[in-house]
Amino acid sequence: MAYEIVMPQLTDTMEVGKIVRWLKKEGDYVEVNEPIVEIESDKAIMEVPSLRAGYLTKILAEEGEEIPVGSVIAVISESKEEKLDEKLEEKQKPQEKEETQKELVLPQEEIKVEVKQLPPATASPAAKVLAKENGIDIKTLQEEGKLPIPAHEKDVKSYLINEKFQEDAINFLKDYQLNPEDVAKTFSEKEKITIEDVKNFVTINNIPLKKSITSIRKSLIKNLKTSLEIPVFHIFTELDFSNIPKESGFTITTWFIKILGDCIYQYEKLRTRTDEEFYYVYPTANISVAVDVSGELFAPVIKSIEKKSLTEISQELENIKQKAKEGRFSREDLEGATFSVSNLGMYNVTMFDAIIPPNCAGIVAVGKIVNNVAKLTFSFDHRILNGREGAEFINLLQSKFKDDDYIKSLMG
Amino acid sequence: MLYREALNLALDEMMEKDETVVVLGEDVGFYGGNYRVTEGLYAKYGERRVIDTPIAENSIVGTAIGMALGGLRPVAEIMTANFAMLAMDQIVNSMSKLRYMSGGKLLLPMVVRMPQGVVKQLASQHSQSLESMFACVPGIRVFTASDCITAYHGLKTAIMLDDPVIFLEHTLLYFEKFEFSKDSFYNPFKARVLKEGKDLTIFSYLKMVHDVMKVVTQIENTLNISVEVIDVGPLNPLDLETLTNSVKKTKRFVIVEENPKHGGFGANILSAVLEETFYNLDAPPLRIAGEDTPIPYNRKLELLAIPTPEKIYSKIVKWGKENGL
Repeated sequence: MAYEIVMPQLTDTMEVGKIVRWLKKEGDYVEVNEPIVEIESDKAIMEVPSLRAGYLTKILAEEGEEIPVGSVIAVISESKEEKLDEKLEEKQKPQEKEETQKELVLPQEEIKVEVKQLPPATASPAAKVLAKENGIDIKTLQEEGKLPIPAHEKDVKSYLINEKFQEDAINFLKDYQLNPEDVAKTFSEKEKITIEDVKNFVTINNIPLKKSITSIRKSLIKNLKTSLEIPVFHIFTELDFSNIPKESGFTITTWFIKILGDCIYQYEKLRTRTDEEFYYVYPTANISVAVDVSGELFAPVIKSIEKKSLTEISQELENIKQKAKEGRFSREDLEGATFSVSNLGMYNVTMFDAIIPPNCAGIVAVGKIVNNVAKLTFSFDHRILNGREGAEFINLLQSKFKDDDYIKSLMG
Repeated sequence: MLYREALNLALDEMMEKDETVVVLGEDVGFYGGNYRVTEGLYAKYGERRVIDTPIAENSIVGTAIGMALGGLRPVAEIMTANFAMLAMDQIVNSMSKLRYMSGGKLLLPMVVRMPQGVVKQLASQHSQSLESMFACVPGIRVFTASDCITAYHGLKTAIMLDDPVIFLEHTLLYFEKFEFSKDSFYNPFKARVLKEGKDLTIFSYLKMVHDVMKVVTQIENTLNISVEVIDVGPLNPLDLETLTNSVKKTKRFVIVEENPKHGGFGANILSAVLEETFYNLDAPPLRIAGEDTPIPYNRKLELLAIPTPEKIYSKIVKWGKENGL
């Protein structure tokens, strides 16, 4: 049989005790009432005797440790080798338990309010002062049901605001987070302030409309800032698409992703990430494609392009479009790219520059195709590759686009 | 740092600096103090400056008065405020009067320290909050210490003052850890704004300050308001300036006190603040206080007899909803 020794409560106020010194060590035999440990309470240091005879088989609290009252600090067994049962092992983390117990539990149910039956004219001193200053009679308004009984300052304030402003004007001010009282001061007291008046007020004072930034946008901003720390260089070039068969059934984007992916698979620097301690070379060609989903920028990733056929990539691009429509990208969809593509060709953009997303070795910005030729801007992470290597990669890409045998092989 | 360690540090530093500072009380010397506040002082300063007294509270305070008149700066410890009732004659009839009746010619640089409040099942005679008894006697200053900053700086100032001071501590705080800084500016004659807010002010002192702080965020969230929390600090003289300025801003106030409501010290705070702010108020003030009963021994009844964080939360929320918040 094993017996637990718990931290005793030595004083009324004691919640934790500090183990000052163990007077016995593991394996020692202990008599009943023999001092076993010195414990410092909030009031003094005291010797604590054992309540049982037996072998001290396990000490669970080190000297100097502070242990909550009631937690197990040692185990005494009848025989020297007796094993601890599992329950005791579980009790070895007393402090965590204690903390969860201390959490404050507030009443969950709605707190009931007693409705006071009071006569009209009942109002707080603050409400009365405000009413007097503005020349309104609380009693009359309460009788007309325009103010509650009792009336508080905020009731009078909102009455005054409703008197001064038309309803849509108040809502407009709310959108701009303006305090109606402050705005009212700038108007003459004669007529009700309309939405036109407050719109005018906003224009004259050049007050901006404060819009909250979505969490997606915030993480984009954070990523862009991180990207700015990447030392980057650009290479401007042209790419000739004339060898891509017109009647293949695949879009130019599909072709471009596939051929770019194959090049990246051949060129390990563009499958590389760095934390400035090491280079991490990834085994497959994963490319992220920038898509705009109702104003939010996403970069879903097409993975293992070297293994995929044009059909498969085309299907994946369709999936991306579908997911973008639904606005449902999983975390997995957005992870794992080492290179990125941004295409604004459809917006009649000749050429542009894109920012490298974090964890990518580079990005290519694709402009519109004129006479089978598109202008490309490559941005590369200079920590991973140099200008010559960037140029080498681009030459590889250009040569693939001219390689008829290779293009035919892709057609299957 | 522990609250009791902050008090100990204040005593140690003052004794080191000024050899007229002496400590006396039951078990303050060899044993190190019932709550270990004077721990180590006996070894450091010896039995002539850290004096173990008989169990005779009236004599402890009387001796301290004599010491103070004779040029020392005694710090007397009464084991708990409950036992100070035995010393009330010296406190009320001598300590509080000598400065006044001598036309200011006699200085009385002395401190009487004592803890009070509900701890855990110490029963009626060891659980009382008796601040009203001291604060109603003109001629003594009554300070409270709610954390390490107020304990350390407050006690040092109390020792330096030439007026007699009752220095109230709370038994449950002795073993609590609080932030501490020797440099922090603290004036024991001023209340402290612990948290700024604009819709409601909560006044409290000693342990209740912490019970209020535990639920202030939940109160703010439930009522959708911002709450100002003030540690009242000195009970005599009250820092009315800080208290009324806050209420003039927030227009509502609540007092949280551990002592019984009837005759409780919160009534003093309420009347003093109300006199100054009536026309600013937007709601009747609320006092959350102990029940008008001796503190029960039974733990459940004991907790029913005093404010707890849960009660503070529900009472303020209910009051707020009933009064236009």
